Amino acid sequence: MDAQDRIGQFRNRLMQSRLNRRAALQGATAVGLGVATMGGFRSGAAAQEKVQVRLGTWAASEEASELQAVIDKVNAEATDFEIVSEPQPADYYTKLQTTIAGGTAPDLFWLSQEYVAGYADLGAVLDITDMLADDDMPAADLSDYFEPILKTAQYEGQTYGLPWISQPVMLYYNVKMFEDAGIDPPDESWDWDKFKEVAEQLTDPDAGVYGTSFNSWPPIHMFIWQAGGETITPELDACPIDTPEAIQGAQFYADIIYKEQYAAPEAAIAEQGFGEMMKAGKIGMFYGGATDDLDVAYKKDPVNAEIRMALVPSGPKDRTTFAWTASTVINAATKQPEAAYKALVALTEGIHHWKIVAPRQSLATEEVISEVVPDKAEAAGVIVQALSDMRSFNIIPDQAEWDLTFSEEYQIPLYYDEATAEDLAPEVRPLLEDLLP
Amino acid sequence: MLSWYALTLTDYVVVGAAIFLAMFLIHRLLRWFGVGREAATGYALILPWLIGLVVWNVGPFVASLYLSFTDYTILKPPAWIGFDNYIEMFTDDRRFWRVLRFTIGYSVINVPLGLIGALITATLLNQDVKGLGIWRTLYYLPAVLPAAATALLWRWMLASNGLINQIFGPVYSLFGVDKPAWFTDPQMVLPAYILMGLWGVFGANTVILLAGLKNIPRDLYDAAKIDGAGRISMYFNVTIPMLSSTLFYVLIIGIIGSLQTFTQAFFIQHTARAGTFMSVYIYQEAFERNSMGYAAALGWVMLLIILLFTLLVFRSSEAWVYYEGERS
Repeated sequence: MDAQDRIGQFRNRLMQSRLNRRAALQGATAVGLGVATMGGFRSGAAAQEKVQVRLGTWAASEEASELQAVIDKVNAEATDFEIVSEPQPADYYTKLQTTIAGGTAPDLFWLSQEYVAGYADLGAVLDITDMLADDDMPAADLSDYFEPILKTAQYEGQTYGLPWISQPVMLYYNVKMFEDAGIDPPDESWDWDKFKEVAEQLTDPDAGVYGTSFNSWPPIHMFIWQAGGETITPELDACPIDTPEAIQGAQFYADIIYKEQYAAPEAAIAEQGFGEMMKAGKIGMFYGGATDDLDVAYKKDPVNAEIRMALVPSGPKDRTTFAWTASTVINAATKQPEAAYKALVALTEGIHHWKIVAPRQSLATEEVISEVVPDKAEAAGVIVQALSDMRSFNIIPDQAEWDLTFSEEYQIPLYYDEATAEDLAPEVRPLLEDLLP
Repeated sequence: MLSWYALTLTDYVVVGAAIFLAMFLIHRLLRWFGVGREAATGYALILPWLIGLVVWNVGPFVASLYLSFTDYTILKPPAWIGFDNYIEMFTDDRRFWRVLRFTIGYSVINVPLGLIGALITATLLNQDVKGLGIWRTLYYLPAVLPAAATALLWRWMLASNGLINQIFGPVYSLFGVDKPAWFTDPQMVLPAYILMGLWGVFGANTVILLAGLKNIPRDLYDAAKIDGAGRISMYFNVTIPMLSSTLFYVLIIGIIGSLQTFTQAFFIQHTARAGTFMSVYIYQEAFERNSMGYAAALGWVMLLIILLFTLLVFRSSEAWVYYEGERS
């Protein structure tokens, strides 16, 4: 699709939105001006076309263009609906909330995993459990989804959306730094101790080079899980951060983050960005999402460091890795739930053949990954290997407040050595549990 | 089909026609009630402004007061909870006190420093310097530049290896101290914002005070000279009293502006350990945590704090502000 087409589509979308607004405006002024027929005439003309289903996303620039290509394909095959993309890359959730409150939100919209339960609890998104049960489309087959990923789109046993991505955290490493230090690439034998040992070996603060980089990313939860602990139980009824396992995981993280013996200092990360530092060859190992472009950047421009991908090191219990995921949901106030549902399923199918890794077992294969993103073909094997270890957060409706409390009362004092995990955890646990449903 | 441009034009024409119709009806209504032609025309002409004031200012103002007594998450209708938001704020919200301390701490240092610095600069510029227009433009420039852009510029200048630390590197070495981490060391965050704040208020205030200085009649200085007053005596007994009403204005605006600081902190995103400004906290509660009701309550408390400070300054003004027109 060329730029002219995109501009044309954008203009059509804008026109449609303006027509909707105009209908309201003209209705309000109709008595005084006697122009009510104008709005009625235009609404009638629009009704003869395919039902338009508006889609709200945070997609920006290249991602928005790629998404538009997926939508074009879906629209070409659809007989009774047409998806109209309305990307809002800046302040996405602020705009989404205000449009929901104002009754002008899109029919479909993306929600990151931590938002679905909250929106479902507030009745802002449509329960699609029954619709899915009656649907035999592949994207509606919930048994094909990775269970921990699907769970993020569910609340109190009901399903509110379809996940469109499952992106496990992987360990990226700088090939040259490893070779120069005479260290073998990370493999399945790696555990926390080995990771820490290599991080220390690669660190040279005077040269501005660090073994790794922690900055509240990767999430501390992942290390708590790897030690056998939990932050919120699957039943959403407890926050056992004070168990010995959870404390062990948190303390391991605290012993690395911002410590110049192993990791980049906070100021360097804030100013340079850890992804950019990694590409610039200033960081030896980095926990990043499977679709991050770190390992691809070198292929596109050799000025970047050569980076490869491996499984994350194993913790005392297992190799659990965090998976970022997001879902497409239906606005509970949509005036066309059936068309919106059909569009949701068709769009999800399309996205599953665009984004890696699709959150469905049948599509999470080396072949599919290599076909969808050829640049990741080399890493496809290790990505697939990580899928069996991935999981997401257990989400509560008041997740934003929970995250803030967890951050301010636990993570921040812990990261800056104001207290140990053992001292803090029992004090913070009741504060967190107060926020549970 | 009508072109997109024609449809846009229709929007404006419809709105314009509706407002014009309302103005006409108001004029007729007032005339019907016996209001004079001139007065009725006046009211009809200010109607567009009045509609804007009610719809965009008074309406949200009253709505926010109501919302402050509700549990409102945006996604659900507000539920009345009485004074719970205010009780939680003062008894159960540890962040509130930290944020309040940070905001007031910033204002208490930033406002006087900005005022004194601007006064000194304005006084120097008032010494018949050449190219006054250029200087005035240069000093006012920070007030014209977009706040977001200047915030990002300051973030770059105050980076650990940024311009400021590079320039003062030898000074740090002399005193044997490390380069400050302006936005990641909680002890340095407030000084960093004060430094940034001074740059802005310094310029804007300097221009206002310079205008005030230029308005002081020369004959007062001539009379003081005849009475044997020296430069310092003239400054404190003629300049400052004659400038006091301008200083009063700058002080009030400075207090309100500093207590409402938002843009810099929003764009720079310093370490969370230092706390943040009240306006940023209100934004976070409203749009990041969906607590619209609580955010509205915070907004009202902030308004009361601003009113309190403003009232204190107003009350004190009788003792130090001199108005030429009130001379008895």
